[in-house]
Amino acid sequence: MEGGEALSATALLYCESMIRARSLALAAALALPLGACAPASPPIARTASSAARYFGDVTPPTDNVLRFNLGAEPETYDPGLAVGQPDGRVARILFEGLTREDPKTLAPLPGQAYRWDISADRLTYTFHLRPGIAWSDGTPVTARDFRWSWLRVLRPENAARYASMLYPVENAEGYSKGTIADENRVAIAAPDDSTLIVKLAQPTPYFLYLTQFYTCLPVPRPAIERYGNRWTRPENIVCNGAFLLKYWRQNDRFEFVKNPRYWDAANVRLDGLTAYTVEDLNTSVNLYKSGVFDWCPSGYMPSAFIPYLREYADFRHGNYQGVYFYTINVTRKPYDNVWVRRALNAAVDRDAIANDLLKHSREPWGNAAPTGYPGYEHPAGLRYDPDLARADLARAGFPGGRGFPKLAILINTSEDHRRIAEAIQEMWKRVLSIEVEISNQEWGSYLQATTALQYDVARRSWIGDYLDPNTFLGMYMTGDGNNRTGWSHPRYDGMLRAAAREVNPAKRMAILRDAEALLLSEGPEIPIYHYSTNELVKPYVRGIYQTALDIHPLTYVWIDRDWRRHAPESPFADAAPARPASAIARAASAPGAR
Amino acid sequence: MSIGIAPPAYIGAPAIESPPAKSLWSDAWRRLRRNRAAVASAAFLAWISFTAVAAPVLPGLQDPTSQDLKLGAVAPSIAHWFGTDELGRDTFARVIYGGRISLLVGLVGTFVSLLIGVSWGAVAGYRGGRLDDFMMRIVDILYSLPYIFLVILLLVFFSRSLIMLFVALGLVQWLTMARIVRGQVLSLKQQTFVEAARALGAGDRSIIFRHIVPNTLGPVIVYTTLTVPAVILQEAFLSFLGLGVQPPAASWGTLVSDGARLLALFPWLVVFPGVALSLTLLCFNFLGDGLRDALDPQDRADVA
Amino acid sequence: MLSFVVRRALLMIPTLWAIATVAFFLMHAAPGGPFQAEKAIPVAVKAQLMHKYGLDQPLRVQYVRFLSNTARLDFGPSYKFPSRQVREIIAEALPVSAELAGWALLLAILIGVPVGIFAAVRQNSLADFASMAGALAGVSIPNFVLGPVLVLGLSLSLYVLPPALWQSPASRVLPVVTLATAYVAYIARLTRAGMLEVLRQDFIRTARAKGLTERAVVYKHALKLGILPVVSFIGPATARIMMGSIVVESIFAVPGLGRYLVNAAFNRDYTLVMGEVLFYAALLMSLNLIVDVAYTFLDPRVELA
Repeated sequence: MEGGEALSATALLYCESMIRARSLALAAALALPLGACAPASPPIARTASSAARYFGDVTPPTDNVLRFNLGAEPETYDPGLAVGQPDGRVARILFEGLTREDPKTLAPLPGQAYRWDISADRLTYTFHLRPGIAWSDGTPVTARDFRWSWLRVLRPENAARYASMLYPVENAEGYSKGTIADENRVAIAAPDDSTLIVKLAQPTPYFLYLTQFYTCLPVPRPAIERYGNRWTRPENIVCNGAFLLKYWRQNDRFEFVKNPRYWDAANVRLDGLTAYTVEDLNTSVNLYKSGVFDWCPSGYMPSAFIPYLREYADFRHGNYQGVYFYTINVTRKPYDNVWVRRALNAAVDRDAIANDLLKHSREPWGNAAPTGYPGYEHPAGLRYDPDLARADLARAGFPGGRGFPKLAILINTSEDHRRIAEAIQEMWKRVLSIEVEISNQEWGSYLQATTALQYDVARRSWIGDYLDPNTFLGMYMTGDGNNRTGWSHPRYDGMLRAAAREVNPAKRMAILRDAEALLLSEGPEIPIYHYSTNELVKPYVRGIYQTALDIHPLTYVWIDRDWRRHAPESPFADAAPARPASAIARAASAPGAR
Repeated sequence: MSIGIAPPAYIGAPAIESPPAKSLWSDAWRRLRRNRAAVASAAFLAWISFTAVAAPVLPGLQDPTSQDLKLGAVAPSIAHWFGTDELGRDTFARVIYGGRISLLVGLVGTFVSLLIGVSWGAVAGYRGGRLDDFMMRIVDILYSLPYIFLVILLLVFFSRSLIMLFVALGLVQWLTMARIVRGQVLSLKQQTFVEAARALGAGDRSIIFRHIVPNTLGPVIVYTTLTVPAVILQEAFLSFLGLGVQPPAASWGTLVSDGARLLALFPWLVVFPGVALSLTLLCFNFLGDGLRDALDPQDRADVA
Repeated sequence: MLSFVVRRALLMIPTLWAIATVAFFLMHAAPGGPFQAEKAIPVAVKAQLMHKYGLDQPLRVQYVRFLSNTARLDFGPSYKFPSRQVREIIAEALPVSAELAGWALLLAILIGVPVGIFAAVRQNSLADFASMAGALAGVSIPNFVLGPVLVLGLSLSLYVLPPALWQSPASRVLPVVTLATAYVAYIARLTRAGMLEVLRQDFIRTARAKGLTERAVVYKHALKLGILPVVSFIGPATARIMMGSIVVESIFAVPGLGRYLVNAAFNRDYTLVMGEVLFYAALLMSLNLIVDVAYTFLDPRVELA
């Protein structure tokens, strides 16, 4: 226990500047009022009061099991191959990486590695594995397991979609793309059972974050070699996390039980978890209200409910690293004309959408990258300006919208997308006097149309993978698979490449800022709103916090049967002042940090 | 009998025994008028069709697409009889305009199914033999494909226009119609009046469409009346899956499926379009039942 | 009898082949493919995936392989859920769908048949009219409205039944009732029409003339034939409910077959779609065969040829 405290301090020492900056910036971001306009409903109650109202049943479960909604059925929870958020959630319950997330700040804490050293040039990471860690079948977890797992992700024939997460490692990209055949050239070495040495191609400030990402979790080699892609089935799976998979029925639920072999099992207070895969949003909220779910994570309630849930003490609302936007297909006429794109951009009233239509459940947003990146200052965002929009359109050769072809907004089928598209359709009709139709496509057709550039304007959204603006700005590079606008700008590509090479964090951020400004002025993207997390957590559930990436480590969550007599827990990341460096150094030298 | 599927007995009125006499239709009409539920249903349907057709010129009706984001969803009031939706649009106007689309989808979809089903069934039944086997085998195959699979693929192939929605719904509805008509034709073609027409030198085409098809009208009318509500309901189901008409247009199905999701917050968004939809379906069903009773010759024998 | 069943079963094979062919080419002609996602899949990765599943081969090669695998009842793994065989997915969802359909049809029969008989015996009375109006109201309310209304009333206001999930016996009540409502109406109408038809026939007049009580006439003689339309309806309806209860499955989070079909079609999960489509077709045809056999027991006039 004490050792654990000291150990986390050790970790802090090695990435001290980064983490401090990050938690500060996060805290600042979360403390920001939501947009310029204050929410119409009363702010979330943070203090205990007998008058606190809760949404539905607040009787704690009789057993020590947390029940929650996982939402969509994971495509796979094989960590190396997992893609979506539900995939990752299950993988993180079952497996633990070198580092694990702080449940509040998401900063990397010691996990399977109890400490690590970073070379002065920030290129070599040496991880020291915790003594005595074991797989659920009793065999020890070794550094070789990690090396094998990471190489497995990179091996081309495994077709891991998130292989690029490991590209910062030297030669990883080449091996993954088939230009390097010898896996030994990938700079991941396991000189002994408890030491893993990783050499990076370039200093990657977020590399420690990647070691806790699900793609980099260790997987059991013997089970995989024996069962192939059926190794994740409950009867075959071997794992190293805090919980084991006991039961799985597709489209129904996962049942997890506590893993007695987990290194910190003594501090795991839950006996198990049950994750349901309920996709219908109304059903999800109904199950929370009736007390079946103890936690209804963000994204699994109808957005129309959000404004009405604000008055309840068990509702939590916070920033989320995601942007909802429209993209413009610049390969089609007249959208190849920058003035047309600017006109469309200036005619979108983001405030009306976020504040009136969505009732302050989202924040109007005129930038390409979301808020909350340490050291990153946004360029000025795009604004609603009907006069400017008309002037721009006239400048493009369509005064008063005359001669402008019918524009089609492509959305995938969803009530939320449709409402927003209907609002924007009306804005463009009204401000620009152009004809606008909505093309509502089912998922497969929508994806095909956006990737093949068969659209005029399309709905998109993007959630950050890691805490860096690069995760947003990088996709507009020429030829990036996520670009999907046909937009290509040599100067933009050059700026992003320069930023990747830049070692000085401040200079790097400045370059990225200029790149975002260029992107906004070119207008292949119409930002609309900033995502937020909106979740419901029963008051007796302790240890689930609102986080900027909507990641929730569940290891130390517990059920507080006596919750009414205890002070309510703040769901937000603690805005505690950063510890002075000397204090951290002292903590690091404390006994137990071994 | 073609393999696989027994014809749905509930719509299969027995074959008409004789060429239609004037009395059959006038008797039917007389009996239909005596059926108060059917008459009331017909009157309601006429009224609702009138409002749907006349919607653009109805005095005082608001624009169903005009938004007021600041207003949002408000409960029924004097200004908005049926309240407004989240975009601040007038629900009353949207229900009236939704009726236009739902009725149009129901009628045109049924018409498409009628056109294909009657011709297909008549040709198969009249020609008989291997052509009949072949044509009915195609019906069996299509019948054995899950309905929703066919509709999704039809809507995916052909862009999602209103016309395609009609066609897609019609294309999956014609199978039963084809079976009914074929069954009728099989028994009709043995009858003396067909022999007579053939003896007089009438061609196949003229025999099928002049002599046989008119004689299948009874069951066809009954089934048609019951197909319209089925198509309207299926359109509503497609709307639930998000495959309905393209926004900002909205059918009753769209309105009801959207409203059902917001039931706890804005009940008026489901109550008003829901009542309109259900009443219309109910009336079509009543009318269909009434027509069946009126056109059923055995029943007539009892009366006589 | 046996030869009839065998012959019909053999005839199913060419029909299934035709269905498989139609569905295969329809599915592959739909825009897009199984390996596309909102977050782009790198080109090399996508090529690997296509290669792994043989999707980079010409369509006719894929078709031949698909047919030979299907002949061995092997549909392969789902593209969307790679750790699962299509066969397993269907086997896991089948009992749930069968149970849901079974309860719903049972409820529909238990209510629909008596109501239909009642209405037929009192034809054109007020009772007839009222029961048929009630039945028609059942078909006229879309189940995506009925479901949420029942949940709001019984689960979220009165807290008497769970709002969703397929777990305790109590959790089955709402999905079954929601699903059964429309079928109560169908079955009541079918029973009424069938009974009216039978009650007019000569042997019923004879039975009445012999002095049998009305009760005996209706239940001993008429019902056996009057129920025939219901029997022929139940066959295909069972298949349709098992595969088509998408609304009820999603509103009540029931892990049945229907949602798989719709989602697989949207995701272009070819193998899962084909497995479900063929399973449905085989189920539908088998149920119709069973219905035809059942006819011989219920109606002495029917002979299997």
